[in-house]
Amino acid sequence: MKNKVKVFRAMHDLTQEQLADKLGVTRQTILAIEKGKYDPSLDLAFRIARHFTVSIEEVFLWEEPPKSP
Amino acid sequence: MRRNTFYIILGLVILFEVGVFWWAVETHNALLMQLAFLLGVVVIYLARGRVEEIIEDERTGLITQKASLRTLQVFWVVFFAVNLGVAVIGLGPPGFPRRPPQPPATDTLLPFHMLGQFAIIQLVLLGLMILLYVGFRIFYARKFGEWDSDEEQS
Repeated sequence: MKNKVKVFRAMHDLTQEQLADKLGVTRQTILAIEKGKYDPSLDLAFRIARHFTVSIEEVFLWEEPPKSP
Repeated sequence: MRRNTFYIILGLVILFEVGVFWWAVETHNALLMQLAFLLGVVVIYLARGRVEEIIEDERTGLITQKASLRTLQVFWVVFFAVNLGVAVIGLGPPGFPRRPPQPPATDTLLPFHMLGQFAIIQLVLLGLMILLYVGFRIFYARKFGEWDSDEEQS
């Protein structure tokens, strides 16, 4: 799953630490989401989208995994 | 409470436990050691709840969950396999495997003077279980970006 958390965070002039504090998660979690190492739960994904006052589809983009031959 | 303060308390509790263990062995007081251990667990639990920084969230929860499950699976299989082999030997015909003459069997399954050794073996196994857990935790923490860094990290 791809996401634009880093873009929206930059648009709102927030550091990872500040966003993490507002969402009640660790800074490493924000970093892991931005790097695509961790897909957040639906609850956290909605909270991130709501924090940036956009829809969840604008922040997170689901991609079908490549099919194995 | 800051996170570092918690780690200092943790270190003090461990020192306290080691001291009490030594004292309990000297005075042959098992209850003292058991109570001290439970007290230490309670102190650590209470101190952890007072840490103001966010140290747990859904990602760390997932790491803990996966590491715990894998530890349980691996440990259970290995522990069962080892004990299965010992049970087969124990229940097998006398004289197999060949061993020196044994003293006559006592009424108890385990002689009382060997309880300490039995407990130490179990403590070692529990220690190995912790090592296994730490290994799995490092694996999943790395997988979920625990030690990744970026331009914001000082």
